[in-house]
Amino acid sequence: MDMHGFSEWLYGTGVSSAIRDNFWVVPVVQSIHITAIAVVIGSALVTELRIAGVIAPEENICVVAQRYLPWMWRALAVLLATGLVMIVGEPERTLSNVPFWIKMALVVTGVLASIGLRKPLLTPLDRSSTGPARSLAWIMLSLWVAVIFCGRWIAYSN
Amino acid sequence: MNLDSTLDYLANTPLAMAISQGAAAFPMLECIHVVAIAAVVGTITIVDLRLLGYRSHRRGVRQLIEDILPYTWGAFALALTAGSLLFISNAPKYAHNAQFQLKLLVIVAAAINMGIFHLTVYRRVEEWDDRLPPPAAARVAGATSLALWLTVIFLGRWVGFTL
Repeated sequence: MDMHGFSEWLYGTGVSSAIRDNFWVVPVVQSIHITAIAVVIGSALVTELRIAGVIAPEENICVVAQRYLPWMWRALAVLLATGLVMIVGEPERTLSNVPFWIKMALVVTGVLASIGLRKPLLTPLDRSSTGPARSLAWIMLSLWVAVIFCGRWIAYSN
Repeated sequence: MNLDSTLDYLANTPLAMAISQGAAAFPMLECIHVVAIAAVVGTITIVDLRLLGYRSHRRGVRQLIEDILPYTWGAFALALTAGSLLFISNAPKYAHNAQFQLKLLVIVAAAINMGIFHLTVYRRVEEWDDRLPPPAAARVAGATSLALWLTVIFLGRWVGFTL
């Protein structure tokens, strides 16, 4: 089954029509989605600004990561769940949409980068803020901002 | 010049016409608006949760607020600028939308809540800051702020479905 066939099959399921038929589901799910985005941005902003050496230089990076990384994972789980509801409700609008797939690629990159480069920060080590680490912090922030841009463009593509 | 003619005038300015008729201007402003709102609510939530007793990266409330508030204000200025440009692109419709009106009222309520916090319990922050759990008044301010900003997000999203 190709993507178009899959979208049509998904569109025809009872869950999909239930999401569309209850007018309040999509706005409420989207609002929860944006709230979770705010949690990701808040967590990322403080963590990355600390790593970039902009705020709280006397606080240990390990402590900052311990406070905010768990919130990041929780928010990403909520984003995945609410995102799935939106896909099931309107499969064609999302699955055959270029900004949607760019967004997914960026999200996977962001999650893998967080696992590979931010999770290790939870272990207490003596870290000096090197130049590359500071640059990486700005790249991580830009990545999450790019995800938001792609997300909003889903509504305008097709 | 009454309100409605002012709104019509706004929507017919060259800037407003460029936003409403260009292919990319409106979506791009929305992107900036969402990023800015995420930064406003994300950073305020960290302070609100600290006021409710959750730990942040700073032990004390005063240091946390001094770390974070400049970014909250910067993001709010950006959200307001992008939001105003979105507004003028279709001023009469936004102005007459109940969800939009309510959203502005809730933002004013959040501002009043913040003002009360800063003029009362935050004035005596040295008495609790990093030594004692936040006093009841600080907890109330934190919970109120959290509830109001979540309402702002819900109402903002709702505007897009009712306009």
